[in-house]
Amino acid sequence: MPLFDYARASTIDEAIALLNDPRWVSRPLAGGTDLLVQVRHTKPNFQRLVDVSRIPAMRSVAREEGEIRIGAAVTYTELVESPLLCEHAACLVEAARLVGGPAIANTGTLGGNVGNGAACADGVPPLVCLDALAHVANSEGMRAVPVADLLLGPHQTALQPGDLITHFTFPLLPAGTRSVFLKIGRRNAQAIARLNVAVAGRLSADGRIEFVRVVPGSALPRLRRFTEVEDMLLGERPSTALFEAAGAAASRVMVAATGRRWSTDYKAIALQALVSRALRRVFRMQESNGTHAH
Amino acid sequence: MRIEFILNGEAVAVEAPPDITLLDLLRDYLNLTGTKEGCAVGECGACAVIKDGRLVNSCMVLAPQAEGCEIVTIEGVHAADGGPNDLQQHFIEYGAVQCGICIPGMIMAGEALLRQNPHPTRAEIRLALAGNLCRCTGYQQIVDAIEATAKGRRAQP
Repeated sequence: MPLFDYARASTIDEAIALLNDPRWVSRPLAGGTDLLVQVRHTKPNFQRLVDVSRIPAMRSVAREEGEIRIGAAVTYTELVESPLLCEHAACLVEAARLVGGPAIANTGTLGGNVGNGAACADGVPPLVCLDALAHVANSEGMRAVPVADLLLGPHQTALQPGDLITHFTFPLLPAGTRSVFLKIGRRNAQAIARLNVAVAGRLSADGRIEFVRVVPGSALPRLRRFTEVEDMLLGERPSTALFEAAGAAASRVMVAATGRRWSTDYKAIALQALVSRALRRVFRMQESNGTHAH
Repeated sequence: MRIEFILNGEAVAVEAPPDITLLDLLRDYLNLTGTKEGCAVGECGACAVIKDGRLVNSCMVLAPQAEGCEIVTIEGVHAADGGPNDLQQHFIEYGAVQCGICIPGMIMAGEALLRQNPHPTRAEIRLALAGNLCRCTGYQQIVDAIEATAKGRRAQP
């Protein structure tokens, strides 16, 4: 007896009908890079997989008015190859570039990364940094949920049975905003993040920080923007001292939320360095002497 | 269920359960055992095949997801006379093969790279192999073999 059955959906409506068929406990399958590992180790808690990886409406990246729309079944490789995202979502492209090796990047999808709900998901800090909405369909219709609100904790999401993330949208960042993504793993390639961070920022005409978002990943049980750190940066002029202080503040926010754990000695130092490095990159400060290069 | 796809250039149709991986489909239902199972969780790349022109780990693809796709396995990589092709010949010449379990995946990763990028730098070759583990060679010879193949293919008219 097979452990589960398989059905392929060719449209979102068909996928929703299949996922909500009361005769089966169904779950969406996109790239399968997380799901097929899980079913190898644990008995599936579903009876049927509904393959959504070929639904055309879930596979494209497009600009619509002032926002970008990314289909949930777009793979990491397709994110990296999108000129639109390279221009408007550098942090997301950089994160996609650092996911797995080529075989995983060719298979895994952004929607799967969010839906799987791993605390270390590389796709999530950039989406939160871009203020992205996840668009979720079910038999009642569509709803839009901020990505940060979809993720309740490690492997816990606000998704209900029968729900399908169809796409993400985010407003274009203000003109001149730069964004970066940095990650620390146990090796350079094909590594699960120990810590990661997405940062976006822009300077005003007189050289002060007028826009900044700081979103560390794998740092808190529930991912969010570190507004405490953003507030201390807004209105200031970029400097090495400022960014080191911001890194230290990010570290304090993390430890205050998680308490001291076995990994804290490492993570506290690493997050401080990662956040200050990301800020230096966004505001184009040279690594060595801290001079401000335009 | 019935799964139909193009395998190494030929149409195949196979009856298989819906809950197996493409790796199991290839090895157990199509008797193509060149594709290896290493870790079975996407870490090692021994099971890599080319699906619609892109490298994938066949242990992470559900067999029914191959429907209608073009799959190339290590059995589909060879010279016109059935012997080793230039990439495989370079693996032999450069001493890139020791125990051999990673080699089908390494060859597929090398082929996938060279089909997309005929001018890879050494850094790009290393990135292309990021998902393929070899515990014998230390990778240098594998990178050398792919680099030599790229050079040889560029020199061809």
